[in-house]
Amino acid sequence: MYMHFFLSFFFFVFFFFFFGARKYFSSLRPGKRDFDTMSTMFADTILIVFISICTALLAEGITWVLVYRTEKYKRLKAEVEKQSKKLEKKKETITESAGRQQKKKIERQEEKLKNNNRDLSMVRMKSMFAIGFCFTALMGMFNSIFDGRVVAKLPFVPLSYIQGLSHRNLLGEDYTDCSFIFLYILCTMSIRQNIQKMLGLAPSRAATKQAGGFLGPPPQAAKFS
Amino acid sequence: MTSISKRKEESHLVNGGVKQSTWSKAFNSNAVWEEKDEFLDVIYWLRQIIAIVLGVMWGVAPLKGFLGIAIFCIINAGVLYVYFSSFQQIDEEEYGGTWELTKEGFMTSFALFLVGLVMSFKMYKLLKYNKTS
Repeated sequence: MYMHFFLSFFFFVFFFFFFGARKYFSSLRPGKRDFDTMSTMFADTILIVFISICTALLAEGITWVLVYRTEKYKRLKAEVEKQSKKLEKKKETITESAGRQQKKKIERQEEKLKNNNRDLSMVRMKSMFAIGFCFTALMGMFNSIFDGRVVAKLPFVPLSYIQGLSHRNLLGEDYTDCSFIFLYILCTMSIRQNIQKMLGLAPSRAATKQAGGFLGPPPQAAKFS
Repeated sequence: MTSISKRKEESHLVNGGVKQSTWSKAFNSNAVWEEKDEFLDVIYWLRQIIAIVLGVMWGVAPLKGFLGIAIFCIINAGVLYVYFSSFQQIDEEEYGGTWELTKEGFMTSFALFLVGLVMSFKMYKLLKYNKTS
């Protein structure tokens, strides 16, 4: 029940802030003094961080509605975590001189785990489509709002292959100017994973390791007590 | 009290039903970590805290350029290495080696550091401009 309240509150705050921000930006006059420009830029930075938090919560909210609360997902996730931990323990204790039978047993367990992981991914696919659709629309909207606008100043000059992203659609040759998309990506990378962890929605390390995680296993869904 | 007897006492406490919270274990040296994931979570969150603190400090200093980023990476990896090898004295092989512990939450902390850096740098410039005008 608290999830329903949380989602409703979140949507209310998000749309209130969003429409407020649109009204604010549309009222800005061109050619402002330096201080107003800097304070506007700082407000942009704060807004983008807030947008990132909201979109991360939106993504998790959609996934919770479509996937996390379903019995099938809960059952599959518990099964995958149990099997991953069991497999990991078995692999730690196995020696090189272990019998063929033991190795075959581990292979069978790995195959079973792979199938369960695949089923889990199929269940998540529903939410991925919904999120992809929502985010395409949202990103199109934010890109048009922040188009050509310098939202922050970077205290370093990014590497040349990143400048295409950090200086996207910005005028001039000052590569310390930061565009919306670069700051948004940074915020999402940092905020989304932390939110998943705090809400206990991230997959366990063991499960991701067995599934073959990209850049190593992500953090486990665990909270400090 | 030796570290071995201290560990025995802690595990006795655990078996006796008095469980130390994760936070108190994180700040006690030579704590007993029954769950590997619990300790990895501690490493993860400590990394995030270091990232925010250093990001704000670097922005206010201000420490510009890639030197600041390089120093952050060294401090982040170094402080956590000292924490798990000297303070907690854990067996790194149990967790997959020093590299696994070093990369735990590193990319997320790096992104968080950059966000903190950009925000505090902007705020610093704003306050400086306000002061001088």
